[in-house]
Order: sequence, then structure tokens, then C-alpha cells
Amino acid sequence: MLILQTLQWGPQHGYGIVQALRLRSGDVLQVETGSLYPALHRLERQRWVQSEWKQSESKQRARYYRITAKGKKQLASDLDRWEQIVEAIGSVMYVKPEESAS
Amino acid sequence: MKWFPSFGFQRRNRELKEEIDAHLQMAIADRVARGETEETARQAAAREFGNILLVQDVTRQMWGGGWFEQIGRDVRYALRQLRKSPGFTITATAMLAVAICANSTVFSWIDGTMLRPIPGARDTGDLVSLQRGERNFSPTPPFSYLDYRDLREQNHTFTGILAYHHDWITLTGGAQPERAYIANVSANYFDVLGIKPMLGRFFLAEEETRPGAVPNVVLGYSLWKTRYAEDPTIVGKSIEIARHPVTVIGVAPEGVVGAMPGIREDLWVTLDPLGTDVWRMTHRDADWLNVIGRLRPGVSRGQAAQDLDTLMHNIVTAYPNEHLGENRITLDPMWRSPFGANGYMAATLPILLAFAAVVLLLTCANVATLTLVRFVSRRREFAIRQSLGANRIQLVWQMVLEGVALSIVAGAVALVLTSRTSKTFAWFFPANSNPLLLNGSMDHKVVIGIAVSSLLAGMLCGALPAWRSSHAPAIEVLKAESASISGGSRNRKLLSGLVVAQIALSLPLLICSGLFLRTLRNLADANPGFEQDHILTASVGVNIAGYSNDEARLIRHKILDRVSALPGVKVASFTDWIPMTLSQKKEDAYPEGYVPHPHESLQVQRAGVTARYFETLHIPILEGREFTPDDDEKAPSVLIVDQTAARRYWPGQDPLGKNLRVVGYSTLFTVIGVVRNSTHTFVNESPEPMVYMSFSQWGGPETMVQVKTEGNPVDLAPAVENAIHEIDTRLPVFDVRSMRESTQMASSFAVIQSALAGMFALIGLVLAVTGIYGVVAYRTQMRTHEIGVRMAVGASRVDVLRLVLLQGLWLTGIGLALGLAFALGLTRFIARLLYGIGANDPVTVVSVVMLLGAMSLLACYLPAHRAMRRNPVTAIREL
Repeated sequence: MLILQTLQWGPQHGYGIVQALRLRSGDVLQVETGSLYPALHRLERQRWVQSEWKQSESKQRARYYRITAKGKKQLASDLDRWEQIVEAIGSVMYVKPEESAS
Repeated sequence: MKWFPSFGFQRRNRELKEEIDAHLQMAIADRVARGETEETARQAAAREFGNILLVQDVTRQMWGGGWFEQIGRDVRYALRQLRKSPGFTITATAMLAVAICANSTVFSWIDGTMLRPIPGARDTGDLVSLQRGERNFSPTPPFSYLDYRDLREQNHTFTGILAYHHDWITLTGGAQPERAYIANVSANYFDVLGIKPMLGRFFLAEEETRPGAVPNVVLGYSLWKTRYAEDPTIVGKSIEIARHPVTVIGVAPEGVVGAMPGIREDLWVTLDPLGTDVWRMTHRDADWLNVIGRLRPGVSRGQAAQDLDTLMHNIVTAYPNEHLGENRITLDPMWRSPFGANGYMAATLPILLAFAAVVLLLTCANVATLTLVRFVSRRREFAIRQSLGANRIQLVWQMVLEGVALSIVAGAVALVLTSRTSKTFAWFFPANSNPLLLNGSMDHKVVIGIAVSSLLAGMLCGALPAWRSSHAPAIEVLKAESASISGGSRNRKLLSGLVVAQIALSLPLLICSGLFLRTLRNLADANPGFEQDHILTASVGVNIAGYSNDEARLIRHKILDRVSALPGVKVASFTDWIPMTLSQKKEDAYPEGYVPHPHESLQVQRAGVTARYFETLHIPILEGREFTPDDDEKAPSVLIVDQTAARRYWPGQDPLGKNLRVVGYSTLFTVIGVVRNSTHTFVNESPEPMVYMSFSQWGGPETMVQVKTEGNPVDLAPAVENAIHEIDTRLPVFDVRSMRESTQMASSFAVIQSALAGMFALIGLVLAVTGIYGVVAYRTQMRTHEIGVRMAVGASRVDVLRLVLLQGLWLTGIGLALGLAFALGLTRFIARLLYGIGANDPVTVVSVVMLLGAMSLLACYLPAHRAMRRNPVTAIREL
């Protein structure tokens, strides 16, 4: 979900995704490359992202990933679910004491 | 070594590497930009990235092709294992290939005959052949034209019903007259079959009965190709058939050979093209048409038969005199239609296929034995792999894969072999007077059959031993040394089971082939009741060359005179029928004063023969006289009957002088003689009454000259042909051969059965004997140490011999007992094909059991003998 979200901001290569995530999360989220590339390739197989080889700003040939329409739909539904979960967890974590007593 | 050129895989791998590389480069560039030195940046980036190979590996799994790569690896491993033991691999592959080829060959014959009954026709599954009256083997045409018309027009269950009648004719008009098989067909013939013309058109409905001024003809593809040089403008041209001009209106597509399975028709005309066969077209008692119908979609054969039966019943009620005897209608699908070759095929080929299947099972058992022994010796390898984390399914899968790899190779070999053997079917049919077109075919069905049977075989040979072997607990195996017996008692039981199965399967094969071989000998030894040696027969195309009746009579006279005068010729005579050539002429006969039983068939076989026919063939006249040249058209019609007819129609009376009416013949026949029975079609037939008519009164249309010679009849063939050609060079002479050769046709199916069954049985015997030898030898070898100990503590050599022999004989005994039970159940199915021998003939059974027993004993004795001769000291040392 995070990867897809990163790609919402524009096509990006693997290294860029790692950097972007770290930047946005204020160094809290460190994406392991060991799971990044498998995840990217899985997303590609599921046709949620597309990839192509392009030159980066620093003249480095790199593989750029772009989110597809299908991927955007998936992201939206993932986001929905995430919010539900957050809400659900939130309502469990912050229960009012009288309700928990009953 | 690259076994798998995995498409795209290499490229994706390269790209992944490049992608990761780019990642590292960018990380390094960033760090350098932040002020780190290149060296530390590189190290840090690599550290941050982690295990590159692992990342690659996990990523590759995401591609989803992982299983593919896995299989590729397993296949490579299996092939490597197989290459390590070439002896096993070659033996097993060869055995499987032969067994699969046995199956696919027989199947290709079935495919070429029963499954493709009418080449070129659409949906032959919807076609049924119509039979009226008693069901029998090789029936004569059952319907008259008017009856056929009524059935065709009044039924509610067929989309179309066709009728045809075929015979030889001479194509004249060219440089050389040529004999061809011509069919008179109903106008809807090609429509019902679903065949479109390649050139021109086929017949129109209104042409069926209206004889044109110039009749129309449709040419078959091969005739068009050979005689008319593929002339693309032939439609509309005039050709000559039996000296009558006819117009070509169309050419049938390649491969279309007519509606009778196994028979090739060369050209087609309408039912009465010249308008000269008025009698055949207008009489309900003139049965001359073979009839095939195409069922309406959704209509079953039973419903259609009921529909036609009702119609037939009405016809019989309206015209009782023309329909005496049995009139029930039966329908047969074309694959077993009694008209043509498939009746015979259906009786023979499925049984042979069953035999071949038994051979395949037997081979699987044998290969499984070999595989099991191999797995036992590889059990340490499996144990190690198991302890390294392979689960049982993976191990079994690996072992099964080895079996499948074997069988795929075997299947490929079988495919190549079958492409040759499928065409051997035609070899079994001796030269004969029918335009036979029988052979195996090699199409996708056969290929699928090979693929399925080889995969099944591979599974069977791989899976069973694999499952067994994978049971062994790894720790035990790793601890145990080879002294601890041959891979556990479970394997031993499976081994024994496989040996028993091989013996049990080969015994019925041997018994059946024994029965077939003895049948063949009985057939050959049987006395057909007529002379087969020193007889030469030759057909003369008097009737098909277009002579007038008077000309033909004169020509026949001359032929007989000249041929009789040839040196070396004892007697010569004419006939229109030769016994035991699968041809039959049948009529309904009504003997005066005879009251038939209800539903009794009044069919008799008939032949037209001249004076001295019985002398030529050495058939004794029991009562009365033979025909003389005076029994000609002007004299009263006379008849000679055989014993069967005499006993059936006039039991206890003198048949001489009795009268007989034959359907379709305008006169009353008077019996003038009785001859001894002789074989008509098959040696093992149930005798049917036979009547002989005088050739010059009612003979023909065929004219065959029969010559009794002093020496070898074939030596006289050129002289006879010359003598005939001296009369008229345009007279076609064909089918010149000895009587011996002609009558071989009658036993060709017995030859097929015994040849194949014999071959299969031989394979079975070899497999069973090598199987038991292999297992006993292997087990004895495993017990070398134990035997050494036994001998050291005082067992005599005889004791050792007994020990080894006993275990082998046990297996043989159980196998024989099971096989015997199996065989006794199985021989019932071939009882119909046997002659002069019972299905459970004790002599055959006992001798086969003894043979198999003796061979097994020998197979056990060899290893036993070797064990006995071992020096106990070396045997103990050898672990």
C-alpha cells in the first residue's frame, strides 16, 4: 500500500521509493530492500504497477515503476480497509472506562 | 548444459541484476554527494541493501514462474539419475516402447477401420447400417428398391437414407480396358454421407429413377487421377463404361471411397442408369441394395429401429408373398456394421487391444520391479535428501518424474515405431477378388493414445515403487548397513507382488495364444470338402466387358474348349462363385411341400456351375447326376443341392425330382442331384443349405474358369491367360491364382489373431521369466551374507538350493494360480473365435502352465545354483 501510495506522486525507481518513504515518514519507516523488490515484482505481476527503463536525473539508467488504473483502484480499497482497521483499533484502544466495565 | 531454454527467464534475470545495480549506484552517488568517500559509500550501500542474492531469489519467486524452474531442476535431476544407470534406462525404455507400440499398433488398426468406417463422410457416428431378417456375418444386400423407397420416405427418425449396390465393371474406350469397382447409388448417396464434390456435381433427386439418354457418372479421386490424368475439365466429357457412353458430372474428393467399410468404390452411377434393370427396380422380392441411414439429432438407434420396424411390418402385411421369412430390422453403428469389413474387425481387434493392454500392464510391473530395486539401492541418497529437508511428497515426485521421463522417451520411440507398424495391417490379407482397402491409420487419436498410455505407464512404474521407498525412515536407513536385508520387508512384499502379477498376467496371454495357434492349425488341417491343391482359378470379365448374351455364350464355349485342351490340364469348368473367399450369394428358396418353422430363414446359398464342376473340385455326387452341357437355357431348370439342403427340406425322402422355387427366378427348379457338403465361407461356419444351378441357365454375372492341373497350378497361369486372350485380346482376365491362395482369405482373421496373440504372449513370457529371475537373483544376492552364515554353521548346498528355489517357486505358484483363474475368466471372450478346440482346453492349459512353470524354475535355479556354489567364507566377508 505504501509503495502504491509513493507511486501516486509520480513514476519512481526502487531506490527512489526507499528514499521517498524514509523522507515522508521522517526516517521512521525504513523499507528493507529485501522486501521492496519482491513486492514491486509482485505488484507488477498483479498488474497494479507498470515498469519501464528510463534515465534518471543523474544519468543513471533505472527501472521506473508507474501505478496503473487497476493499482489506483486497489490503493483506494486498501486505504479504505486501512482506515477501517485504524478506526477499529482506535475504538478498542481508546474505549471509555464505563463501557469496558459493562 | 542447458536443458531448459526458459524463455524470457534469462532476460528478466539480467534486468533484475541491473535494477539492483542501479539501486546501489544511486545509493552510492547519494552518499558520495553527502561527503563520504567512494569506498565507504560502496560498503555502506551494500550493507544497507543486504543479501543481494537472497533478494534476487525472493524476487524471482514473485514472478510466479518459480514452479517452472523447480520442475526444470527436477527434470534435470531425473535425467541425470537415469543417465547414471544406462543399463536400467535402456532396458526399461525399450520394454515400455515395445509394449506401448503393441497397443498403439492395434489401436491404429482400429482407428483406421472401425473408427473411420467411411472416409470423408461427416459425423459417421450418426450413420447406421440397416439389416433385415436374420442377423449373420457377411450378409447379402437386404433390401429391394421399392421397400427402400418406402422406408426412406415414410420414416420419422432419419435425416436421410441411402442405398447402394456395387460390383466390378470394365472401363472401355481407352487404350487399355481396365476393371473398376462401380456402385449403383441412390441420388441422395453423397448428401446422406455429407460429402461435397471436388469437381462438378453429384446426382439430383430426379435422376434416381429416370434413366437418361446418356447416363451420368461420378468419378472417384484415384480413378480420375490414374485413368484420366487429373483432367480438370473432365466434367461434361464423355467416357465409356462397358462400351456404353456416359457423361462425367463430377469427381469425388480425395479419400472418398464409398459407403461400405473397407471396400473401395471407384465410380458411381445411378441405380438403373441404362434403364435395363426394370425388374430390379420394380420387384419387392429383388433384394439387391445395401442401405445406410443418418439418424436425426437426438434420435436413438432403438427408437429408429422401432420406427423402421413398424414401417416394415406394414410393408410385409401389404406384400406378404415377397416377404416370407424373417423381416425384423436391426440397426448397427458403422464401426461394427456387418456390411463390409467392420463386422470382422469388431470381432477381432478389440480382443487384440485387450491383449496388448495386458502386455503393457505386465511391462509396467516388470519396469516397476527394476525401479524398486534401483530405489532400494538408492535409499541412502533419499535418506540424506530427506534429512536435508526434502519432504516426502518432493521425494515421491522426484521418483515419479524419473518414471515419467522414461515413459515419455518410450512413448516417442513407440510413436516412431507405430508409424511403421500401423501400415502392416494390409499384409494380413492375401490377394483376393475384393477391392479391399484396409489399413491402420496414424492420426491424432493414435498420438493421444500413445501419450496417455505412456504417461499412465510412467506413473505406474514410478509411483508405486516411489511411494513404497519413501516410507523408509531416514534415520534407520542412514544407520543401517546393507546387511540389514533388502530394504525392509515392505519392499520385499511389493517385489513379490510384482512378480506374482507378472506371472498371473502372462499366463492368460500364453493360454489364449496357444488356443489361437491350435485353432489356426485346426483350420489349416480341416478338410473343406473340396480339392484345394492342383486347382487354378481365373476370372474372365465376359460380363463386364459389354458383350451381348449371345456373344458371351460363344466366348465361354471357346474358353472352355481351349483351356481344356491345354497340356497339363485335366478338367476345366466354369463357376460364378469360389468357396472360402468371403463372397456369398444368397437367395430365398421355397421347397415344394416344405412347411418352414415360424421365423425360419429360408435363405440358401447359391452358385452357378457348369458340367464337370464337381469333378474339378472333387466333390462327390451322392445321388442323381451332375450337370451336362445339355442343361442350357432351352432345357428345364435343374438344381443340385447339398446334403444340408436335402436333409433339411426333404428329411427321410428322396430329394431327386423334388421342386423348388427361388425368389427372383421365374421358373420352378427340379432337383437332379445331391452332392456332399463342402465349406462355403469359413471352416468353422454352421452349414447353410446350398443349391447349385446350371451355369448356362442361371449362372453369372461372374465367370470364373476353374482348372484342375497335373502339376503346380500356378505354372499353368500364363498358358490359361494366353488361351483366353487368343479368343479376344480385349477380354479382361484377372484374379488368376491357385485355389490354395484364394481360400487363404477365409483364415486371414485367424492368422491375425494367432500372429498377434503369439507375439504378445512371447513378450509376456520373456517379461515374466526375466522378472522372476531378476527378483530371485537380487534377493539371493542380498542374502549372500546370511547364506554364508548358514553354510558356515552346517547347512548343506542342497539346503541352500532349496532355500532359494522355494521362495521363487512360492511366487510362481501363487502367480500361476491367480493367472489360471484370470485365464479361465478371459478365454470365454475368445471362445467364439476358436475352432476345433474348447475355450478351456485342458491340454493347452496344462502345457502352458508347465511351460511357464518350467521357465520360472529355470529362472530361479540359476541364482540358486550360484548361491550354492559360493564359498561361505567369502560370502560372510562380503557385506
